[in-house]
Amino acid sequence: MGAFAEIMFGGLFQGSLYAMMAVGLALVWTTIGVFNFAHGVFMMLGAYVAWQFVSLGLPIAVALPVAVVVMAGVGWILQASVVRPLIGRPNIVLVVVITTLAAGSLIENGVLTLWGPRSKQLPSLLEGNTVIGGVGVSLHQIAIIIITPLILAALWAFLNHTRLGLALRAVAQNEDASQLVGLNVTALYGLAFAIAASLAGLAGIFMGGYRFMTPVMGSDPLLKALIVVVFGGISSISGPIFAAYLIGFFEAACSYYFGLYWTPALLFAVLILMLMVRPEGIFANQSRGLA
Amino acid sequence: MSVILTVEGLTAGYGRVTVLHDLSMEAGRFGNVGLFGPNGHGKSTLLRTVSGLLKAKSGSITFDGEDITRESPRAIVGRGLIHVPQGNRLFPDLSIADCMSLGAFSPRARPHEAENREKVVKIFPKLAERWRQRVRTLSGGERQMVSIATALMSHPRLLILDEPTLGLAPKIKDELCASVQEISKGGVPLIVVEQDIEFLLELCPQLYLVNHGTVETEIKPGQSIEHSEIMSMYFGH
Repeated sequence: MGAFAEIMFGGLFQGSLYAMMAVGLALVWTTIGVFNFAHGVFMMLGAYVAWQFVSLGLPIAVALPVAVVVMAGVGWILQASVVRPLIGRPNIVLVVVITTLAAGSLIENGVLTLWGPRSKQLPSLLEGNTVIGGVGVSLHQIAIIIITPLILAALWAFLNHTRLGLALRAVAQNEDASQLVGLNVTALYGLAFAIAASLAGLAGIFMGGYRFMTPVMGSDPLLKALIVVVFGGISSISGPIFAAYLIGFFEAACSYYFGLYWTPALLFAVLILMLMVRPEGIFANQSRGLA
Repeated sequence: MSVILTVEGLTAGYGRVTVLHDLSMEAGRFGNVGLFGPNGHGKSTLLRTVSGLLKAKSGSITFDGEDITRESPRAIVGRGLIHVPQGNRLFPDLSIADCMSLGAFSPRARPHEAENREKVVKIFPKLAERWRQRVRTLSGGERQMVSIATALMSHPRLLILDEPTLGLAPKIKDELCASVQEISKGGVPLIVVEQDIEFLLELCPQLYLVNHGTVETEIKPGQSIEHSEIMSMYFGH
């Protein structure tokens, strides 16, 4: 009973964070066709921005939405500065890998200079602990497990049931045709980046509530999000969401039975196997397109 | 009828390659305009420049008395100049219904959405049967219908069709030609690129032969023209 509860809980919790990260990566890939390697930095920056507001005296309930909005702006600016000017070049995928890596590195070191190397921590969303199925868990983690699916469902509804969401899905499929029905393609690119950055920032704030924050806290989640999108297929946003929870459960089970030490090795073994057997991802069909 | 589109001294191309050389034409004075000429001589480039997908290097494009040479495709769609590009690639993973809502995206088209949808269903009853189907699952002819229907949802004041019957089976092609005729009778002036000269002659009183990136010959209404003459324009002597 204890093992089951521990794996369930760990899987749901890690899966939530991975899903929130991976969805942003997938959103940017499907709409713009580039890979954003500054995504982990968005996560870290979201946590630091929230921390700054909290240390100015705002309660976390206020600091969180403000930081998420700030991150949307950061995402937009990053897109306008290192992605948009390159659109239409040959090799765009490779070039943007490099520009986003460079921007990420700049931001990371900027944060280090601005806020210093000392680890920080955000207040929890909810204080206190409880025991479920024989496992002690914090209310903060339970809140994350409940909030994340709600946010992801809202994103899904936005993409599938609003005209703006429809426009985002359309840009993903055919840029010329999108322009010819009068869509503002540059604004939609900005919007995709803004949404991705907000979600990553939110994941960072969630993480900063139970682990210490450092300027490099985003690199491991970025790596995991990459594994998730390879696993789930990057051509949709539902694929990565399911894959994120799958990986979360896999990690939880691995670290329970084999220990934390073996978990990354096993994860990559599964990833390599996956790439050999089904390179387009478990849940993917082969085209690019949202939803 | 009055002139709705004027192109003057237009030069355009891709990167360092110039495709259009000092091209001038106008549309609207006599109704529909047909463009013909060999492949690779600038017809599609002309249309892409008119709709703003390509930037003109020099020259001017005037729509309804206003200069649109430097405007974005979105602004041009907002004026009601709607372009159906060649090859009906469209949005493979959207449903027909989704395409129709996208067509009505511009603020100018939105108030007319319901009325235009009725029009579309009347002209293309086949589409109404498959309203929820994804575009990728449709046949080439149906996809072409969706492309044109999407353009109609944008409430066009001038509709540009780039080879609407390209690659279609003869039966489907006849059906599509009839639909295009019906759209034209509905009062929307057209600019049509087409390889089927009979269809073009029937639809358009005014024709331009585009060759080597410029207008080589203009045929105005009243000038009788034989099929064989056009063939010799196409292929030389």
